[in-house]
Amino acid sequence: MASGYILNRGALTLGIHCQRVCRSVTVTQVREKKRWMRAYTYLMAKKLKLEGPPPPKPRSQHPNWDYHAEVQAFSTRLHENFSLQLLKTAFINPCYLQAEQARRQGLGVDSELTALDLKNNIKLSAKGADFTKSFLIDWCRASFPSLPSDGVQSIVGHLSSSAVVTNVARNLGIEDLTMSEVFPVPDDVLHSTFMAVIGALLESSGAERTGFFLRDFLVTQLIGKDLFDMWTVVNPMGLLMKELSKRNIVLPEPRLIRSAGASTVLPLYFVALYSDKKLLAQGPGETIVAAEEEAARVALRKLYGYTENRRPFDFSPQQQHEQPLIQSVSSS
Amino acid sequence: MSSFSRSAQQWATFARSWFVIDARMQPPGKLATMCSVRLQGKHKPIYHALSDCGDHVVIINSKHIAFSGNKWEQKVYSSHTGYPGGFRQVTAVQLHSKDPKAIVKLAVYGMLPKNLHRRTMMQRLHIFPEDELPDDIRANLTEELPQPRKIPRKLSEYTQEEIDAFPKLWIPPENYKMQ
Repeated sequence: MASGYILNRGALTLGIHCQRVCRSVTVTQVREKKRWMRAYTYLMAKKLKLEGPPPPKPRSQHPNWDYHAEVQAFSTRLHENFSLQLLKTAFINPCYLQAEQARRQGLGVDSELTALDLKNNIKLSAKGADFTKSFLIDWCRASFPSLPSDGVQSIVGHLSSSAVVTNVARNLGIEDLTMSEVFPVPDDVLHSTFMAVIGALLESSGAERTGFFLRDFLVTQLIGKDLFDMWTVVNPMGLLMKELSKRNIVLPEPRLIRSAGASTVLPLYFVALYSDKKLLAQGPGETIVAAEEEAARVALRKLYGYTENRRPFDFSPQQQHEQPLIQSVSSS
Repeated sequence: MSSFSRSAQQWATFARSWFVIDARMQPPGKLATMCSVRLQGKHKPIYHALSDCGDHVVIINSKHIAFSGNKWEQKVYSSHTGYPGGFRQVTAVQLHSKDPKAIVKLAVYGMLPKNLHRRTMMQRLHIFPEDELPDDIRANLTEELPQPRKIPRKLSEYTQEEIDAFPKLWIPPENYKMQ
């Protein structure tokens, strides 16, 4: 009796939920308030609160991912002629290879039958890093001829630092293509991958194209940067003395030229440096000592040609426009 | 164009200047116009009505201000004590003899915008009846503002030579009797 009732009830609910549209098609839909929805969303919200958001998944694990097409699109997007073989090699990190070997062994795949013959990017990365460093040093020497080697080193160090390079690499979409053991890709792995991409470009298109690539994507990170944000100078006055004595200029004499609110909690002093009765630089500060240091920094910026009002860097594209110009000259 | 570091640049931008102005023989209205501009910060390129960027103004010699016309007798300052029959009206002379700062202060107060910042800006106005300043205020001063009115010289300040050299419209005859 009971089983008959349950059967009957099942048939009844089925009858409610499945409506016959015509003879052969049935649509399963419930046209009522979904009372399970409230409990379900509540549970999901609670789960989210307890466990936190789910870990990020790489793009390659989402649907519609074609690695070959993506790598090709990467080179097209940057208007560079990468050799695809080299570019693919550049994205393969040693940590990924190790993890993949371990995974295959865990799955019981015979390592001799299906060998993982992939090259890692260590060589490319070393090559790219060397080229980047030498290019950046050359560029800094050319742009700031009077900057001493310490300053050049610190600018190059800033531009090839992990923070700057990974930011550039992430924004170029290298992170999605990088083969790494863990996701999100760690900064050092992303750094070496970027350098490997540079190395791949160097082997594919030559040093000139790679130089333009570095100039366009890495050197532009220098825009809006102050010299002493990158170069920590503890005693600017001492450095200024050294520089001036090297150039045979009379040593500077600091003078208080303006002040405001000296007895308040927000005082302001302007100190100027005069060398042989000529104004070298002036700087503001909260105390006289701070203002003097600031004036020394301003004087150093002027000496090194890194002032705010210097001529902007020339990032214009040049190699495409030269060709037709020469042709027109030769034809006429 | 300066090449200051960012922190120093910001410190210099938002620092408050201290102006001093000599009110001797100056009309209070013109003084108040200059002061209210500085107190609001309207002379700065970074001015914004909601950013509290006004400067300090120190007015000295407020006892020696000058009214034109017969404003000293005619101009009336009214107030109400709040009690029945408490409407007080005093002329400028009476108010000035009672408090030599009051006329300048009221003129500036009336020229500032009528909002919640007005009392704050008035706190940055420092008025002194004579030209002696306390040391802590003297240490703060940045620059002196030019007086809005050129002070005319009195006849007693001219030398005899200057008086003789003054062009005359009419030379009295020898036997002309001066009163």
